[in-house]
Amino acid sequence: MDKVRRVAIGEFLNAVRSKAFVMSLLALPIMAGLAVGLQIYAGKKVDMTPRKFAVVDRTGKLFEVIKTEAGERNARLGEVPAALEGLKSVLPPQPHFTPVQFDPEDRDATALELELSQRVRKKELFAFVIVGPEVFDPDAQTNQVVQYFTLTPTFNELPSWIQRTINDELRRVRLEGAGLDGGLIRKLSRGVEFDRRGLARKTSDGKVEKAKKEDKVKTILVPMVSMLLLFMIVMTSAPMLMNSVLEEKMNKVAEVLVSAVSPFELMMGKLIGCVMVSGTLSFFYLGSIFGFLAKSGLLSYVPWDLVGWFFVFQVMALFIFGSIFLAIGSACSEIRDAQSLMFPAMILVIVPMLVWLPIVQSPHSPFAVVMSLIPPFTPTLMMLRLATPAGVSWWELSLALVLTGGFMVFCVWAASKIFRVGILAQGQAPSLVRLLSWIASK
Amino acid sequence: MNEAGLPRGFGWKGFAKQVEYFRIAIPSHAGKGLVRPMNVLPPSLENVTRPVSTALAVRLSGVTKTFGKQVAVDDLSLEVPEGSIYGFIGPNGSGKTTTIRMILHIFHPDSGAVEVLGERSTRSANDRIGYLPEERGLYKKQTVRRALGYFAALKGMGRALAKSEMERWLERMELTEHGDKKIESLSKGMAQKIQFVSAVIAKPRLLILDEPFSGLDPVNMEVIREAILDLRRQGTTVIFSTHDMGVAEKMCDRIFMIFKGRKVLDGDLKGIKAAYGTNVYHISGDGDLGFLDSLAGVEHVRDLGQVREVRYAGDSQVLLKELTSRVRVRHFEIASPSLHDIFVRIAGPQAAEVTHG
Repeated sequence: MDKVRRVAIGEFLNAVRSKAFVMSLLALPIMAGLAVGLQIYAGKKVDMTPRKFAVVDRTGKLFEVIKTEAGERNARLGEVPAALEGLKSVLPPQPHFTPVQFDPEDRDATALELELSQRVRKKELFAFVIVGPEVFDPDAQTNQVVQYFTLTPTFNELPSWIQRTINDELRRVRLEGAGLDGGLIRKLSRGVEFDRRGLARKTSDGKVEKAKKEDKVKTILVPMVSMLLLFMIVMTSAPMLMNSVLEEKMNKVAEVLVSAVSPFELMMGKLIGCVMVSGTLSFFYLGSIFGFLAKSGLLSYVPWDLVGWFFVFQVMALFIFGSIFLAIGSACSEIRDAQSLMFPAMILVIVPMLVWLPIVQSPHSPFAVVMSLIPPFTPTLMMLRLATPAGVSWWELSLALVLTGGFMVFCVWAASKIFRVGILAQGQAPSLVRLLSWIASK
Repeated sequence: MNEAGLPRGFGWKGFAKQVEYFRIAIPSHAGKGLVRPMNVLPPSLENVTRPVSTALAVRLSGVTKTFGKQVAVDDLSLEVPEGSIYGFIGPNGSGKTTTIRMILHIFHPDSGAVEVLGERSTRSANDRIGYLPEERGLYKKQTVRRALGYFAALKGMGRALAKSEMERWLERMELTEHGDKKIESLSKGMAQKIQFVSAVIAKPRLLILDEPFSGLDPVNMEVIREAILDLRRQGTTVIFSTHDMGVAEKMCDRIFMIFKGRKVLDGDLKGIKAAYGTNVYHISGDGDLGFLDSLAGVEHVRDLGQVREVRYAGDSQVLLKELTSRVRVRHFEIASPSLHDIFVRIAGPQAAEVTHG
């Protein structure tokens, strides 16, 4: 055991002193920071050139409405609702909309479209709108269309705003035309508030706790972040083990090592060292996230009861995938060979990422239960299910722990058999069949 | 290498120290066909001289190891006395490394027993063994001190003792100022010295060195050689696996040769040479000696530069007479066979290509 401890400490110190570790430590915060920062930066880099657009109003009634509404909108720009006041600085700015009326005179439709299109191409206009003559008539069969033309269809704000403005006006005019009170119609057609909540429960002291208001952050974001964090930590730590063994084989250190410690002690030391490294990573990651949430006053979103489970599943995942990657590293002598053997193992790591959405939507469906009980998927998927408000029943959790614990022991045992033979093997990587024969050997 | 293409100390001068000039007494078995069929151990050679010391560092008893259908080591028994330098020789693939790995309990024998420093069939003694494999390396990204500290820790050494031993060895190897440099920044010679230090830092009682001098320049080779001899003087047993017959002859008290998994030589050098007879002659003379190959009884001629080494199955007086009848003989010496010669006789001419002796 002393040898295992010494190898583990050696591995831990080796890893945390390496540049790769510092990079992986900073990778998550840097990537998250970059993603948010770049989005905010890009959001602020909006082209603020006023969007000047021509309106060919064949009804003769809509242009003025559009012009008035645009003026009011432009005057309101920069204002944010009270609820979003805190986010004012990060909200993207909006450009002014400037409608200009265009008189088609006696041009035919084709000539009109062509002329205005040329003006858009010359950047005199951003877009143009042709309003059909009978848009106000609900019974009209033709000419009821409003056409929008632009060279930049990806800018959605303008056509959406025009569509909304015209439709509001049309609705008002049509209702009034039918002798109905628009205000009354709006009042009568108003929907009811839909209050989404969880479930009420009885607390241990007999009190009834009312159902809490559903919180999108807690129902989707917390499970997703928990699972992603676990996935990232496994992906960062486990392949390090493979590289470490490969490096020892390629640098011809392996034989000296196995003369000092048994292959099993060496492997266990490496696995425990890896758990220590990933523990440091998660300590840093979780600490950063909790720190950020605390500073933002959002600490209530932290599911404290899940932190312990997070570490339990992290250790299990690392022992499972760590031993698989160690076995692969020991069996190969070149990175290229290891990468091809690594592929099936990577599929096992990635599968939970492909099925998480249906599981989080129906955490108690047979699919969700079965998938989260398959040992290689259990750490990530059970973590995901645990983090959903519905939680997981005790028997599922117990069964998952037994199955995954058993699978973990099997992985370590099988990997130690491969490791024992592979660590001193040189030359071409063994086939999968040969690896199985190493496991079966005495 | 000297002018004759031989390693230093194994040329003419080296020979001069080892042979008895114009030894007149001809052994009784001379001329009776000393050369035995290839690969057959002469009855007198199996443990020519039994270890004097009763304390054994290593005892292998009837050890066999197979890999699939291939027998790597076949029924091998060997006793390495404490405090000796024991040379393991044999061509590539003969079973040397497998034997060493069994001594280190990296491999377990299929049958037989391995006892090392009094521990039978366990790894308990491994902390007292230093090992320098032929295929060796270090963690390139680590500094010298960190790498050595790690190897010392794996051997169960306390931090303080490891530090003092590390500094002592670094000073001896003249590497103190390089202690905080990364291994990858060292020259090949420096790295090899660090590898040697990693094997001896934990004060081993048994030191196993597989080709310790390969790739070393003469200066560094001498530094390592002196260190090995010092360790032996302090009581360390050294097992020395090498292809370099010159080094084996100069350094080893005893020689063990393995060929195709079987022991074919085991004993002290003097005894081995005596058992292999005195049918080797070193000859030089004025004129063309090309006729030597065609003489009856001549089995092998090797040009050593200054002299020809001739293996002759016959009466030395007959050979001398034949020579004097053809050329003016300048030098005629009845010599002990070199280890190289014995090695080649056992392993066949193809083995000569992998030896340096």
